[in-house]
Amino acid sequence: MESELERLRKKVENFPSASLYNRLAELARTSGSDEEAENVCRRCIKEFPRNGQAYVILAEIELARGKRQDAFQLLHTGIERDPRSYGGHKILSDILVENDDIPGALRHLKQILAFKPNDSAITTRIADLEKKHGVKAASGAHAVLKSTIGNEPLEPFQGPLTTAVKAATSSRGASLDGLCGEIGVRGALVADVHGRVVLTKNLPSGQDELLAALAAEIAKTTQSALTTMGADRLSTWVIGGSAGQVLTFQRDRAFSVVVLADVTVRPAMLELRARQTLIDLGAA
Amino acid sequence: MNEILIQLNRVRGVGGCLLVSADGLVMAAALRQNTDENQLAASLGNILESAGKIVSTFGLAKFMNFNAASDQGGVLMIATGPAFLAIVIDPSANLALLQLEAKPFVDRITQRLSL
Repeated sequence: MESELERLRKKVENFPSASLYNRLAELARTSGSDEEAENVCRRCIKEFPRNGQAYVILAEIELARGKRQDAFQLLHTGIERDPRSYGGHKILSDILVENDDIPGALRHLKQILAFKPNDSAITTRIADLEKKHGVKAASGAHAVLKSTIGNEPLEPFQGPLTTAVKAATSSRGASLDGLCGEIGVRGALVADVHGRVVLTKNLPSGQDELLAALAAEIAKTTQSALTTMGADRLSTWVIGGSAGQVLTFQRDRAFSVVVLADVTVRPAMLELRARQTLIDLGAA
Repeated sequence: MNEILIQLNRVRGVGGCLLVSADGLVMAAALRQNTDENQLAASLGNILESAGKIVSTFGLAKFMNFNAASDQGGVLMIATGPAFLAIVIDPSANLALLQLEAKPFVDRITQRLSL
């Protein structure tokens, strides 16, 4: 196990990714080093704030230390940033059952069914809780998650991050100024994961929406291609034409910066600007 | 054609390559054993379709190449006449150098396809 830990430590240093951080933290925890696991999770949260599993591992460590309130807080933050965190919802539901908040626990379990509809363990657990306590979960959305219950697709999460971006749209439309001020940049936009325009500059009305929608489509298919090849999350893609190029930079699959530029523009130069735009918007 | 792809695989930073038609059909492939070439080609075909729409809508003239990167590698697609050469890129690869080194292979494939 020591050699595997060492191998993972090196790999995380060289090619940091959320899944590698998770594996390293879990392995460190299994080998009895809660302190290392905690450090790994905190680094992971800094780099990949939407990785729910890091919050789950941290919460488990806090629970083992008897700090239930801290664990509860971490899990809430975790599911807020990663609404599809299986572990986060599961542990929260267990804590709520212990606190006799059965409707709350059921809401979290049903959230799991929203993105994993055929999970037999969760279905059985829900049936057990409903039978034992004679309680049915409220059909409304969870106060924190604001997403649908049942088998319908989850609505885009409305948390501090997304509201920050929406708020920024009106007051900080200048966020794309730096990027669009670069020589050779014709226009740019920020789009969410569903291909909806959040912010746009120098792109004709109507075309920006089309570009955002096509960019989201390409990101989705490219991610599928990368998964087939064994690679992880897509971060950048570029379409090169003989009279221009489209460059897209994204982070944690949440928001993308799509730039329409001349062929002479170097992607590496724009990447920093694009990342800065996301930071200015509070989305990275 | 397979021979060219096998030679291309020897270039530093190349983790496999395949030749796909514009509609995502595999024409030749030299990929790693555990990679599903049909699935990959289908995804690449979808990418080509959407990329083609962007190129025509935004006046980018001729579609030349596409590249996507992640922390653990990526993919580079280069137009080779009527088809596209897709190169699986290792994380350690230098993209600019790789594009340069792939150029003679692209020319050879284009020549073969135009025969």
